[in-house]
Order: sequence, then structure tokens, then C-alpha cells
Amino acid sequence: MEKITEFRLHGRGGQGIVVAAAVFAEAVFREGFYARAFSLFGAERRGAPVTAFVRVSSAALMPRCRIYEPDCVAALDVTISGDTVLAGLKTAGLLLVNAPDRELSYLNDFDSATAFRIFRVDASAIADQHNLTIGAFPVVNTVMVGALARITGLASLDSVLAAVEKRISTRRDQNSKAVAEGYRKVKEVSGVVR
Amino acid sequence: MPVEMITGSQAAATAVQRAGVDLVVAYPITPQTAIVETLAEYWARGELGGEYVNAESEYASLAYCSGAASAGARTFTATSSHGLAYMHEMIHWCAGARHPIVLANVNRAMGAPWCLEPDQIDSLSQRDTGWIQLYCANAQEVFDTILQAFALAESVLLPCMVVFDGFYVSHTYEAVDIPPRDTVARFLGPSCFAAQVDPGRPANLHGLIGAEAQSRLVLSRHRAMERVWETLREINDRFAALFGRSYPAVEGVACEGAKTLLVTAGSCAETIKSVLPALDGTGLLRLKAVRPFPARELRTRVEASGAETVIVVDRNCSPGLGGILAQEVKAALYGAAAAPPVQNLILAGGVDLTPWMLKRILDGSLFTGGGGPDREVWGVDLA
Repeated sequence: MEKITEFRLHGRGGQGIVVAAAVFAEAVFREGFYARAFSLFGAERRGAPVTAFVRVSSAALMPRCRIYEPDCVAALDVTISGDTVLAGLKTAGLLLVNAPDRELSYLNDFDSATAFRIFRVDASAIADQHNLTIGAFPVVNTVMVGALARITGLASLDSVLAAVEKRISTRRDQNSKAVAEGYRKVKEVSGVVR
Repeated sequence: MPVEMITGSQAAATAVQRAGVDLVVAYPITPQTAIVETLAEYWARGELGGEYVNAESEYASLAYCSGAASAGARTFTATSSHGLAYMHEMIHWCAGARHPIVLANVNRAMGAPWCLEPDQIDSLSQRDTGWIQLYCANAQEVFDTILQAFALAESVLLPCMVVFDGFYVSHTYEAVDIPPRDTVARFLGPSCFAAQVDPGRPANLHGLIGAEAQSRLVLSRHRAMERVWETLREINDRFAALFGRSYPAVEGVACEGAKTLLVTAGSCAETIKSVLPALDGTGLLRLKAVRPFPARELRTRVEASGAETVIVVDRNCSPGLGGILAQEVKAALYGAAAAPPVQNLILAGGVDLTPWMLKRILDGSLFTGGGGPDREVWGVDLA
């Protein structure tokens, strides 16, 4: 069977997580993979937890269910509980967190026996710099997609930019810059080895 | 042909636009809303071709469709759950009036309480109304089935419901091959069924009749359902010649020599297919058509496989009886040579079917602990 790479994205209503999953899937599709993205949300409201899923494979046949044992998790919001974020993350899986340096201690709160690699990008600050906000609320989705593409190597920056062009109709310039900055600035966190 | 990353809902809307529909009637409900939203965008850009009406309710939506279809118009509406239930009287009426309307129903549970998950009880509650029901497992199939549904409905003069799971299909972005409108037109020309109303010849339609006349009309609808098999085969042949894809009433995967056959309708089939290569001796029969019910073909295929067990995966339940498709499969196997026991995995409420759940079901232990050969297991208990 073909290898399927599974992603789970955690965030809150208003951060653009549904679009993040769609843009990432579109970028990966442009690289020649089969990709599927879908989201779970209740009655739509800002601030409520939202989960999105992306499956990537070189074959069309994939399960059509939620993702319980992801290869990679992205946390768009550090206020989502660590247990939720890490649930089922595979050994040696990737964790991408939207967090500034000073909040790295948050990572130590994760209660997990699994060994995984942690990556960090200050997506909120980058979104802020590019005026990607709704009120005071940074819309971090495109920054995180740039970072995801980089750490997984599944999509080039060009493919992500093309996906943004296709999927996002407002503030395209700012979003493109945010994607590139997320792609460039994401860093593996060393010294937090599990 | 362009392949685009779109959702199942966008696939449905795009197919309706490509079909050259005369009238779309819209009333929003989650998880269907994106279908009529996308069609509204087509209309706003001047690309729909037909009329677009925002109705005052789902009941009214189908009433608009009924009126337009009486005048020979190709009509479409979409709904889910409570919206479909609210249409119920008109659903019967449109079948009786032989309106070839196409309706997309995105499966969602019925309240109380409110629940958005993809229980199939909404569409299965309408299975006795005289509508054709075709279930889809992915966005490409939604696109293709909408086109086929217009051709089928207008050929046998029965309304057709195209059904797919909320979220797992409706909200999933995936690659869909979208043929341009002129290519679609080679498969599906303009509607050509006869108008029932003619302003030049005023008439009273669907007036009061007695039991015998009504019985003959019900019989004629029953016979029209029988004609679906042959018509669907012809439609699939034409469709495959143009687009390279086809959707038989029953899709079989790895059935030959299988000890266990899984039977389901809708997107659960894709999760099952994805684990079949790792499961020796297990096959899948996917019910594309639920009305008419492909009883003869199902029986033939089960007999030919020599399967020892049939497990029906039902994302629905008729309380007091069990999974609805399981009951229909049992009825279909009545009188079959060495009919295998029919067991039932019930995912009512819209419970997610996972690969590990299937593996637990198929290792046999869940169905051997008593309760007879017709045992049922609830997915929600398998955590």
C-alpha cells in the first residue's frame, strides 16, 4: 500500500484553519500528490476550537475518516490543550507550534511519552506585521501553511504561493509575504527532546 | 480536462451548472449550504444559465421545483436533515406527479437534539416516497452522479435524490476532474421531457381519484423503478465512453472467494476499500442505488462469492429493528442458496468508521459472543 501522510491542525474559529487545510492540500496537489482536506466544526463561531485534517498520498485510495494518529500536528493556538494537540501523534512525528520564544515553556507542559520533533514559528507576530488581523485577532493560517510546507518538504514555496493565489481572494499580497516568512522563519526547537 | 481541488458541495454545484439547469431553488441548511452558495455565485456572475430563486422554506423549494418541472424545466434543489423532513409531503407529491427533479441531500442526523453529523436517517426516511436514491462516496462521484441523475430522472420520469455524507464528502477538498460545459452537453442535452401544463389548453392536474386508479399509478411508478436498471446501464455506458468513469448500481471489490462481505452505502466504502488490501478474505459490495434497491444483483453477487458472513455497515438505525440497509440486505437474501448470516455494524448518529474499528469487527471476536447469527454491534461501543 502507498504511504499516506496524515496531518491534524488545531486552532480556533477565526484563525482561518479551514482555509489553512485547503491551501496546504492545494499546494501538495500541485506537487503531484493526491490530497484531501476537511474540517470539523460545530455551529460556526469565533474562538471555538476547530480541527482540520489533511491526508497526502501518491495513490488516490485513502480512508475517509478523521485522523487519530497523525504524522504531523500543527497547533495554531497555544491555548488548545496539549493533550488534545498531541493525541495519537506518531513516534518521531512532527509538531509545529505557533509560539513566540518567550512561550517555549508551554512546550514543556505537554504530557506525552511519545518522542517527536518540535518546530516553532511566531505566526501571530508575523500575521500582525502584515496586517492579517480581524480586530486584534491575528489570522495565522497562511504563515502556518508556509511553515508546514518547509518542515515536511511536501510542497515548495512556489506551490504554496500558487495555492494562496488560487484559494485566497483578500489581502493576497500580505498573505503571500506571510507565507514566505513562515516558510523562512520556522525553526526546529532544540533542547526539548522527548 | 481541468482537475481542480474542490469540495463535494462545490462538485455538486458545478455539475448542476454544467448540466444547463433551468431553475435552482435555494434554502440554506448545514451541511448543504455551500451547494446553493456556490450556485448563487454562478448566478451572480451570469454563468448559471437558468433562474435562481431564494425560497421561503424547504417545503416551498420543492413546490417551486414542482411547478417549474410541470412546465418542462430542468430543476434542482439541495437540502439536509430537517430540511428534507420538512419537504416530506412535497417529496411524495413530486414522485406522484412524475417530475424528474434532481435533489442533492447531504446526510445529517435528525433532532432532537441538534446534531450535524452524517447519519443517513434523513434520506433513508424518504426511501418509500418513489424517488430514485443514488449514494456517492467522493466528490468526483458527486459531480458525475448529478449529471447522470438528470439523464436518468428525465428518462424514466421519476425524481432523483443524489445523496452524500456531510463533512466527509460535502466539506472535503479533493481533486475533481471537471469537464467543460460543451463536453457535458454531449452527454446531457437540454431537457426534453413533456410539459404537463399548457396555457393554451387549461386543465386540472392531479385531481381526485379512487383506489383502483391510484393503485395503477403506484404500479406504474413501481415499474418505472424497474426500468432504472437498464437505463442506468445505458447511461453509464455513454458516460464511460465520454469521461472514462462509470458507477454501477452495486460496486464490488475483492468479492470473489471472500469469506466475509462488507455491505454499505456512501463514503464509509472508501475507508473500507482502503483497508481491504491488508485483509485477506474480505470483500466489499457498495450500494450505489438504494432506491430502486438492487436486491437481485446483491443476491447474485453474494451467492457467487460463496461468502460465509455478510456484515452491513449502517450509518443509521431504525429504532426497534436495527440498521436500515441490513434489513434490506436480509430481505434481498431471503430464499438465496445457503444465505449467509447478516451481521450489522451500526454507526447511527454519524459515528466515524475507522480502519481500527473495521479490523476489530473483522477479527470475528465481536460477532461471536452470542446473540445469534444476526448480531448487531454499535460502533460507539468500540472505543
